[in-house]
Amino acid sequence: MTRDQSPWGAPKPEPVPTAPTPSEPQDHLEGEFLGRRGRLFGLALRTGVLTILTLGFYRFWMKTRLRRWYWSSIRVGGLPLEYVGDPVEKLLGFLIAVVILAFYVGVVNLLLMFASFSLFQGNFAAYLASFVGVIPIWFYAQYRARRYVLARTRWRGLRFGLEPGAWGYALRALMHWVLTIVTAGILWPRMTFYLEKYKTDRTSWGNAQLTQGGRWQMLFPSAKWFILGVFLTACGGAPLVRAGYLANDLSDINFEPSQFGLWFLLIFVGGLVTTFGGFYYRVDTLRRLTGAKEMNGVRLVLKARPMRVFGIHLGGYTLAFFALLVPLTMMMFVIAFAMVGMVGNDSFDLDLEWLSALDRWLLIVINIGLYFSAFLMWSIFTQTFITFPLMRHYAETLTLHNPDALLAVRQRPRDEHIEAEGFAEALDVGASI
Amino acid sequence: MTLRPSEISRQHQTEAYFLDGVIPQAQKIECWIEKAADMLAIRTEAKTLYWKLDDVRAVPDQGGKDLLVLRTTSEPLPRVLLTDPSYIKHLPKARKTPPVTKRGKLVAWSFAALTSVAIIIFGLVPLMANQLAGFIPPEGEQALGDVTLTQIREALTDEAAPISFCTDTDGTRALQRMQDRLVEAQALETPLRVHVLDHEMINAFALPGGHIVFFRGLIDKAETPEEIAAVFAHEIGHVASRDPTRHALRSAGSIGVLGLLFGDFAGGALVLLLTEQLIEAQYSQGAEAAADSFAYDMLLQAEISPAALGTMFERFLELGGETDGITAHFMSHPALGDRIEKARHAEPAGFQAQPILTPKEWRDLQSICGDSHERRGKSLKN
Repeated sequence: MTRDQSPWGAPKPEPVPTAPTPSEPQDHLEGEFLGRRGRLFGLALRTGVLTILTLGFYRFWMKTRLRRWYWSSIRVGGLPLEYVGDPVEKLLGFLIAVVILAFYVGVVNLLLMFASFSLFQGNFAAYLASFVGVIPIWFYAQYRARRYVLARTRWRGLRFGLEPGAWGYALRALMHWVLTIVTAGILWPRMTFYLEKYKTDRTSWGNAQLTQGGRWQMLFPSAKWFILGVFLTACGGAPLVRAGYLANDLSDINFEPSQFGLWFLLIFVGGLVTTFGGFYYRVDTLRRLTGAKEMNGVRLVLKARPMRVFGIHLGGYTLAFFALLVPLTMMMFVIAFAMVGMVGNDSFDLDLEWLSALDRWLLIVINIGLYFSAFLMWSIFTQTFITFPLMRHYAETLTLHNPDALLAVRQRPRDEHIEAEGFAEALDVGASI
Repeated sequence: MTLRPSEISRQHQTEAYFLDGVIPQAQKIECWIEKAADMLAIRTEAKTLYWKLDDVRAVPDQGGKDLLVLRTTSEPLPRVLLTDPSYIKHLPKARKTPPVTKRGKLVAWSFAALTSVAIIIFGLVPLMANQLAGFIPPEGEQALGDVTLTQIREALTDEAAPISFCTDTDGTRALQRMQDRLVEAQALETPLRVHVLDHEMINAFALPGGHIVFFRGLIDKAETPEEIAAVFAHEIGHVASRDPTRHALRSAGSIGVLGLLFGDFAGGALVLLLTEQLIEAQYSQGAEAAADSFAYDMLLQAEISPAALGTMFERFLELGGETDGITAHFMSHPALGDRIEKARHAEPAGFQAQPILTPKEWRDLQSICGDSHERRGKSLKN
């Protein structure tokens, strides 16, 4: 569908006086994305500056506004999504999470630090234990955050929803991870499938339930590029490792330079293919899983392209990195300039010490400012050049089939969900949007 | 043809779509402003709804600029979608931001969060740190001190390498002599490890595991070796009572909690700030007083006048106006004047002081970071 047409599905030539708009039978609705990059840049900049000025407390408003913008940009069959989350409830949820987690973080960290220094003479054990202890809460928080976001998302006026079940999710996620690690990654697709199924089977739109069909084995082909990459890297790396193992010192290694070059080339290409393979796995599993979801006979098809997603990440991070360099370079100049100035004061201008004190404060203020602008740059550029093109790509490659079945669905009650995404916020889980 | 009254007051008629929030269908509607009643009229095929004009809001932050989405504050679900975004000029309150809801709850939970953080940082964590500090074995305490010292040295430098120790042989020998004189009469549980850091800060501090650290600035500014010895004794007092161990354990608990509160943006800066705070360790008034009186005893037994501590405090006060580094933890204490007085009175009548270092040794200690003239030369070259 193009933009010149009426934005809500099929154009209706004549308003039919009775019966609410029985539209022409359509076999599918197409997704589109209407937001413009420049506007997002402005929004991310404004809200980012406010977040810094408020010591981070505006971030709840920033998140809400960005989500509202993204959601309203995504249209399926001409009708936009709407995000109705409230910044105040996010702040509230965060405060609740702080009350609960402060105890854990304060007391447990102190105990771990004590035990770690007493028993192991170092803090590594404490960091490890504190990290491991947070993993289940991390999964829990992830599920709760998803539930909150779905509960605050509407399409065609109907709410989405996710049933409670965060501890069940955390438990399953832990078990799947153990299985995946024990099998050296062979059961990774099984984990991907069952965790997605757990979430999908508890998701609804209005009063209609989604189900995840398919089998976990269908995700094996998604790993092909990743496996090829690992294989190539191993082919290049194994002879090198073996040679290094056999040789007593580096001078003992005597290979033909051409052989050497071949192996390094293999490792380089292998690394590149593995990285692409990671993106391919993510996008391809998403395609397959989306294609196997069903709701009252409604089906989705996602035609996202792994190469495009890979390119977005590559280009986006490169740009964000260069954007980050600007404030960092400036910071370096300020420091260098200040050092020259201080030496000058120290040696022949002792009367002006108050001035150098002023300089020092100014310096601190400038550096804090630059430090925060580095954060800001990173956040704005990743929003504009990664999140934005990704959302657009996914939205534009999505189609919804058998839309007539949608009309039988009705509204679902509101999910109050008092702590919102507080745990996720406090623990920095999936904080991208 | 006569017009009915309702049609006279009917203004800005337009076509739009309506989502009632019950059925997932965008119904085509006619929409206009009923001027007489200040209402937005919405005529679906089944009926006509009226929204108070004062309640009508535009949903903000829209990505697609071809669309104006309206809602009413009186009902959460229904939406009117207008294809003419300029229609907003007819809606007086459309851009009004919604009032902050759940204000009571928000205040209550903010209070609860602050209270629980305060209880944990100022109550539970110090309490546990005090208890646990007594149980940590010497090796553990040493490791804790080593880690903290490295952190501080890294925090104080702008360069890649941490700030360096001053290790001039003669200077170290003089410092060792001072230490021997002081601890002669007192057996210490923890062996001392004394360092001088090459930094202009006028400060000294103690760390877990018997570390005592002087900054070059302190040695530069002191006029007699007795003043250094007095500060030395004070820091030994902290070591003896394990104040630094308590403090290190306490900050392990507190840093995490504060990081939780401020999140991503301010988190990095906060950690730096707290490392700085470690140096300026603000012990409790009681701990400072105890370290002071420990120092008086130690100085008296070593035949040095405790008044030297008072002289050093005075020196801090004098230097108070100077540029940086004067934020020694002595300074941060409000009752510095009292402590000067106390130090004066700690010297008994008829007390005969013995110099702690010979003039030669004192010169050696003063050049423990290399000759001061040399240093000036170096900094000029930089």
